[in-house]
Amino acid sequence: MSTRILTKADLAGLVADLLSAGTRVVAPARVDNPQVAAYRPIASFDEARLDGPLPPRSPKEFFLPPTEVLLRWQKKKDGIELQEVATEHPKQVILGARPCDVAAVEILDKVMGWDYRDELWFGRREATTIVSLACRGVDKSCFCTAVGSGPDAQKGADILLVPSDGDAYLAQILTPKGQALVEAHAQRFGEASGAEAAKSFREAATRKVASNLPIEATKLSGWLADNYEHELWKRLAMRCHGCGACAAVCPTCHCFDIVDEPEGIDRGVRRRNWDTCQAGKFTVHASGHNPRGTQNERFRQRVLHKFSIYPKRFGELLCTGCGRCARACPAGMDLPEILGQIAKLAGAGVPTGGTK
Amino acid sequence: MNLYQPYLMRIEEAVDETPDTRTFKLVFQDPKVAESFDFQAGQFGEYSAFGEGESTFCIASSPTRKGYIECSFKEAGKVTGALRKLGVGDTIGFRGPYGNRFPVGQMEGHDVVFIAGGIGLAPVRCAIWNVLDQREKVGDVTIVYGARSVGDLVYKRELEGWAKRSDVKLWQAVEPGGEAPDWKGEIGLVPAIVEKAAPRSADAFAVVCGPPIMIKLTLPVLEKLGFSEERVFTTLENRMKCGLGKCGRCNIGPVYVCKDGPVFSAKELKALPQEL
Repeated sequence: MSTRILTKADLAGLVADLLSAGTRVVAPARVDNPQVAAYRPIASFDEARLDGPLPPRSPKEFFLPPTEVLLRWQKKKDGIELQEVATEHPKQVILGARPCDVAAVEILDKVMGWDYRDELWFGRREATTIVSLACRGVDKSCFCTAVGSGPDAQKGADILLVPSDGDAYLAQILTPKGQALVEAHAQRFGEASGAEAAKSFREAATRKVASNLPIEATKLSGWLADNYEHELWKRLAMRCHGCGACAAVCPTCHCFDIVDEPEGIDRGVRRRNWDTCQAGKFTVHASGHNPRGTQNERFRQRVLHKFSIYPKRFGELLCTGCGRCARACPAGMDLPEILGQIAKLAGAGVPTGGTK
Repeated sequence: MNLYQPYLMRIEEAVDETPDTRTFKLVFQDPKVAESFDFQAGQFGEYSAFGEGESTFCIASSPTRKGYIECSFKEAGKVTGALRKLGVGDTIGFRGPYGNRFPVGQMEGHDVVFIAGGIGLAPVRCAIWNVLDQREKVGDVTIVYGARSVGDLVYKRELEGWAKRSDVKLWQAVEPGGEAPDWKGEIGLVPAIVEKAAPRSADAFAVVCGPPIMIKLTLPVLEKLGFSEERVFTTLENRMKCGLGKCGRCNIGPVYVCKDGPVFSAKELKALPQEL
């Protein structure tokens, strides 16, 4: 791993280079509402808002689109003809994504790759270089430090930028893909300097987030598995509407539905669409029987999947502590606060003076 | 070819088992796929009616019968409704085989009891034929099958065949009020008929499938009869979309039914959270 320095002017130049070479650049960027940013393809560096507000949605849609075509079919005289979709994708760079968002992509590689390899996911993964930007901590809903991560985490990134002296970023080159990007644009990167400033940025951000939820969420797995019938699960989700906003904004929620849609009387598409375990119909059997018939059971599933099932299966929490679910919930379901309650029961760190 | 791209299959035969249940015999359109396709008893697939979507059923035919597969399904929604409208010569999509299998190999030298209710006979039938096609390899074979009424019994032609075999003990049952005037079988619920049939349990295997409540009430009967919970198997049919362990739908606690199942021993079932 090596380190370089990248000034803001050189970063703008790098983006211009990439765009002129035909690479798609996705970054947190302005949208019509000035209070909001969104991860979207940018046409120039001016559109990017690297130090702006946290985009309400993570960039997972650039790997797992909210809706995507799996195949096309057409009725012919002697049967059905199928048309495959491409699993190769044009090059893209995701720039300035938060470490929590970037970690999610690497976590999801596990479920997308176990046994059966999802070529649609990995096609986009392979075409993408991720340049993340260390975060200064957003607000009281952040809890990345509680899930074993941090505002300067490297997981999932090919290059991590850390704000340093003045207008410069310290660029940590983490993977061969990151190295290739630096080599292809070597004139944009200078000799490393400003390590002290970057270090104090990281420390300040970590301190800020760590006080939000001082627990170790990696230690909840056993308690969750052993307390399936705990009374907690009978009351926690009484407020939940089952709207699934939490899953839509979550960088690690990846559940999907597969549906057919007509495109004419003799042809149509099969699509994969985002879905959520919080929806009542998610698990309904053909007979009408529903193994998760209440919202409390569905909420338990969401918490267990993230903090017990996924870690047991894949060795990683299915949560990066971004806090989006808590910010997005119209009913005030607050996952970090709930994790605090569970941690107390599980003896995995006791929140002092409340978690908010 | 991406994971979600189905094989195309031609419907060779279509049989109405009951007013709402249909069986298809299917062959692969691509001869190369037909040649290389292999599966084990208990595995399932995703069947598609193009334009409506996919539905999950077990493969109901035995792996000992090469060159085709069969599936049986009950019309219950959009996809099964569209599939039911298809007939001989029509094309459907198939992805699979997915999931684990019944331990047919381990049954060699042992008695085997098959217990099914309603359309639950479909996955069990796969194992029944798998065993009957190598009849000399196992001990006694007992089949207990029940349905709500005579009209709801599936695979009637095969039930007749099994009834005539001297190397199979068949117990057929319908629920009270479900019998026809000429009904010669049992009247009662499956768990009670299993208790009455009282098959020999020493070192025996049992395969059970049916509505969740039937499975739930049959397992204690088998336990009472002395069956080892490690040799009693059932197959679960949770709602699925991908069948590949990705779409996040079919899990029961830590277990993915599509990958760790659909076949589970009674012992494994007991260890799962009660979310069935």
